[in-house]
Amino acid sequence: MGRIALKDIRKSFGGVEVIHGIDLDVEEGELVVFVGPSGCGKSTLLRLIAGLDRPTSGAIEIDGKDVTRVNAADRGLAMVFQSYALYPHMTVRQNLSFGLENTRMAKTEITARIDDAGRMLEIGELMERRPTQLSGGQRQRVAIGRAIVREPSAFLLDEPLSNLDAELRVTMRAELAQLHDRLKTTMIYVTHDQVEAMTLADRIVVLRKGVIEQVDTPLGLYNTPANLFVAGFIGAPNMNFFETTAQGGHAELPGGLTVKAPGDGKITVGIRPQHLRLADDGEEALEGIVTLVEALGAETVVHARAVDGTGMVTVLSGQPGLHIGEPVRVALDHAQIHLFDADGQRIIPASG
Amino acid sequence: MAAISKSLGTVVTVPLAWLARIIDYPLRWWQIRTGQGGMAAVFLFPNLAIFGVFVIVPLVLNFLYSTTSGTDIFLPDRTFVGLDQYQRLLSCDDYTRRITCREDQFWTAAGNTLAFVIFQVATMVAVSLITALILNRNIAGRGFFRAVFFFPVLLSPVVVGLIWRWILQRQGLLNLIMVNLGMEPEVWLNDRAYAFTATIGVSVWAHMGFYTLILLAGLQAIPKDLYEAADMDGTPPARVFWRITLPLLGPNLAVVLVLALIKGVQIFDEVYVLTGGGPGTSTLYLTQYIYEVGFASILRNPGLAAAASILMGLVLVVLTLIQLWLSGRKEKAGKR
Repeated sequence: MGRIALKDIRKSFGGVEVIHGIDLDVEEGELVVFVGPSGCGKSTLLRLIAGLDRPTSGAIEIDGKDVTRVNAADRGLAMVFQSYALYPHMTVRQNLSFGLENTRMAKTEITARIDDAGRMLEIGELMERRPTQLSGGQRQRVAIGRAIVREPSAFLLDEPLSNLDAELRVTMRAELAQLHDRLKTTMIYVTHDQVEAMTLADRIVVLRKGVIEQVDTPLGLYNTPANLFVAGFIGAPNMNFFETTAQGGHAELPGGLTVKAPGDGKITVGIRPQHLRLADDGEEALEGIVTLVEALGAETVVHARAVDGTGMVTVLSGQPGLHIGEPVRVALDHAQIHLFDADGQRIIPASG
Repeated sequence: MAAISKSLGTVVTVPLAWLARIIDYPLRWWQIRTGQGGMAAVFLFPNLAIFGVFVIVPLVLNFLYSTTSGTDIFLPDRTFVGLDQYQRLLSCDDYTRRITCREDQFWTAAGNTLAFVIFQVATMVAVSLITALILNRNIAGRGFFRAVFFFPVLLSPVVVGLIWRWILQRQGLLNLIMVNLGMEPEVWLNDRAYAFTATIGVSVWAHMGFYTLILLAGLQAIPKDLYEAADMDGTPPARVFWRITLPLLGPNLAVVLVLALIKGVQIFDEVYVLTGGGPGTSTLYLTQYIYEVGFASILRNPGLAAAASILMGLVLVVLTLIQLWLSGRKEKAGKR
């Protein structure tokens, strides 16, 4: 239970199409994260799956059954809202039982489910309080509890952690991961935070402007981004990009460093800041002037301007003792470079 | 353009700056001597002065008049009678029979007002709530209908009364339409039941826009995602209304209820123009009774009118205290 398939989903609001034909299969028990910048359509897509909005065209299937025209309540899904959407005038217990009471479920069953959820989420002591008497983290738990008691075939979570402070967010993130591990229920999780996406997801769906840019495992996205957008979106600090021209199997980077590049024409070379290191004397290197040093202790983030004016960021381990205005020479790991063609699509290197 | 607005700015700001400089010194001196509390007194004084002259002084005068008798207007010319006027208003031989009361008109007016308030407020709350619920939906022309329902609030009560008298009178618009449809005309304003109903209907029509607005604001303050959460849970619309909308609208409903009660007790102008209290005394309400006893009748008795208005004032004070208590409770609930 909990297999969700999207088939060429399109959605328009007042003649403006915001979702441009999405195909996606979510496997049973999988935790899939929709990630992308604001306005990419990730929340809209979640609402379409939930049944709160109807797609303009295309089909949504749950466990092989077409539910495109089925009401939200009859899809067997539960949603956790960004604002939690707890009923302010009801106690925690009433919040949890409200949805179950609609289904004419036996009182004893309702109580049992609420007690189970209360134990699992450690909100048992809060049952008689109202949402206004709870902290942000507690409200979040109640919101998740309200989804759990329904025993849905899949959970839909819309930026569930975005209203928490940074510390609590990390804790709740770990708890959500554990919860998924225990329940083994399909979850679709929307976030704009790539760290949340990377740490929680079995698979990540990167969305931009209503289209899927790439679907892959977190490490798959990190290691083989399909295009410039994904390469730039996943990983912090952002990947360095150098626009250059390939000729005769090679491309030259600012400072004279050459990398292998198939074909001829304009290409973009991408290198993650972590794959750059200070160059040894006489070694081929990228050259630039340091513009900013962020010393974090264990590592140092060095921002520099390459000789052709391109900005580049290097994450160096330790405390290399660089200062603003000094020249810097960095070497790169040739196995870790990413090449993109003029359209921004990944170029598969001809050999290794 | 920029030069014009700049010179306009100068025209405004230069005198203001002068004024500020002139009052700066005495204010500064006052603040140093009296501290923050003294400054608060300075800024509150104008409003307190107006409140005192137009509310407190008349209130005291009204009470003094209620302890006097006679037809003279000026207080020094009047005879002090203590609480006689109150006694006159409230004394009956048999309290179950209005006709045995010394001032049976007062009791008639009070009874009429009570009936009016009960029916009018119930109708008002129901009609405003239904209208607000409809206007809160995504219907076509929503802005237009909001304006339409609010428009009567802008009318003077006298205009409201005149419009409806013109519609309901014997040779009015309604009867014209009915005759043209082949029906028998009715004497709407000369029938006790019709006239009473008309005063309720007209006052609801005239004021519902205001209450609808309060309820609409309350409805729009309810977060949309609560409804979406209920939708995900498959909550039937009736249950959504009773368990989510109504409880969350509670504070606004309480405000509407109490304001409507207060306004209902005070009802006068549009009814006075529409029915003049008739037929007979069937739409004679308290304020009209006070007005007629105090000013309009040949045997005017300002003392009696003052006493009646003090009694009515007590009822309003109780209602206002309820409203303050309700809104205080709402604030407390909000702080929790």
